[in-house]
Amino acid sequence: MYKIQLDHFEGPLDLLLFFIKRDEINIYDIPISKITKDFLEYVNLIQTLDLEVAGDFILMASTLMHIKVRLLLPKEVDAKGEEIDPRAELVQRLLEYKKYKEMSEELSFFESAQRKQFWRGNFNEDPKVAPPEYEILLKNVSVYDLAKVFKGIIQQVKKEVFHEIKRMPVSIEEQIDHIMTLLGKFKELHFLSIINEMREKIRIVVTFIALLELVKMGRIGIKESPDFNDFTVYALENGSNLQINN
Amino acid sequence: MEAIYKSIIEALIFASDEPIKPIEIIRVVQGIDGDEIEITPEDIDNCVNEINAALENERHSINIVRIADGYIFSTRQEYAKYLGYLSSEKSKRRLSQAALETLAIVAYKQPITKPELESIRGVNSDYTINTLLEKNLIAIAGRSETVGRPILYATTDEFLKYFGLNKISDLPKPREIEEIMQDEDFLEQKRKLLMSAVEEQMEAELEIEGENAPEA
Repeated sequence: MYKIQLDHFEGPLDLLLFFIKRDEINIYDIPISKITKDFLEYVNLIQTLDLEVAGDFILMASTLMHIKVRLLLPKEVDAKGEEIDPRAELVQRLLEYKKYKEMSEELSFFESAQRKQFWRGNFNEDPKVAPPEYEILLKNVSVYDLAKVFKGIIQQVKKEVFHEIKRMPVSIEEQIDHIMTLLGKFKELHFLSIINEMREKIRIVVTFIALLELVKMGRIGIKESPDFNDFTVYALENGSNLQINN
Repeated sequence: MEAIYKSIIEALIFASDEPIKPIEIIRVVQGIDGDEIEITPEDIDNCVNEINAALENERHSINIVRIADGYIFSTRQEYAKYLGYLSSEKSKRRLSQAALETLAIVAYKQPITKPELESIRGVNSDYTINTLLEKNLIAIAGRSETVGRPILYATTDEFLKYFGLNKISDLPKPREIEEIMQDEDFLEQKRKLLMSAVEEQMEAELEIEGENAPEA
């Protein structure tokens, strides 16, 4: 079995061309069975690495398998009675791709040459004044350029930020009354049982502040509960004493 | 055209920060000296050749190059080593293989839609197209009249500048598929294939004959 170097292939066609070159395959007589096998091995490999890229490769894998099946079936014949090679379309695509791959090498050559030429430059300081005539101003502008600029402006416009302030649904005074009413009925209360019925976070927070307020006023005392996540609240007879029991 | 215009053309090219097109030179000359001044793009091109010949003669390190249907002063390639040290702009990253491939296809098949491009490359090209659009190497050239009116892409002047080309037709012609088909190599392979097919058929016929032959 061949070991495939995990080179970076530009796509499934690039990979197929690599196999063709590596195995010195005649592009007009591709051994579909062998190349499908090699191709699938590679796809399995990249699938574990990069799912998005694998999509294009899986499409090609299915094309290869489709050709393989057609080769096994009785030969197809076109309108003129000539045999159709199920591989022909793929070969055409490979040749087309190869053509442009070769051209990209040419472009790369031009790129290298151009990098060696330095144009007269350093114009950064020159002020750019728009030409006075509108026709010249709009010379090379297409509707797409306008759309692009418009999109840019729209994105630049800062969004106005609004902060909405809601009135609290409860007040500390209300909660003080509520706690004192409860303490009128029960001798001691667990904090958790006080907030048990409350659904809004703000109500719980306000209730807690009300408790602290009551402790400060010396109207209630707080002591540790047997359950460490809770505490017990009890009313103090003498409203002036500040008393917190641990 | 009067000889004085050779110097004027030289000055205009020297002072231009972009490749200056012959039509712009004509506009300037006629704008200053009057519409009756006769000056053609051919005159300008001849002047540029003369200026370049003089620069070459005096062993100057600069010449005028033809880029994107315009003229600009440029240093000669042999000084790249020293200038590259000075300028960071040219030492920036080169285009990726994916970008070059995509540009090659757009350059030869423009205007082209994304689906056409992707069917040649065999891979999704959203990212590459966006990068090339951002770099202004390709631009939207309109919409195709086909179903869904997909966007058409074409190369830009920036593309010509990047690759140092005067016009798209300066690119070498790709080898045509027909040409590859006419390749001697290919003809040889085709002949071999035909031969083996004929041989197979003959063998098959012989076998049949052999089977049908009366046993002695």
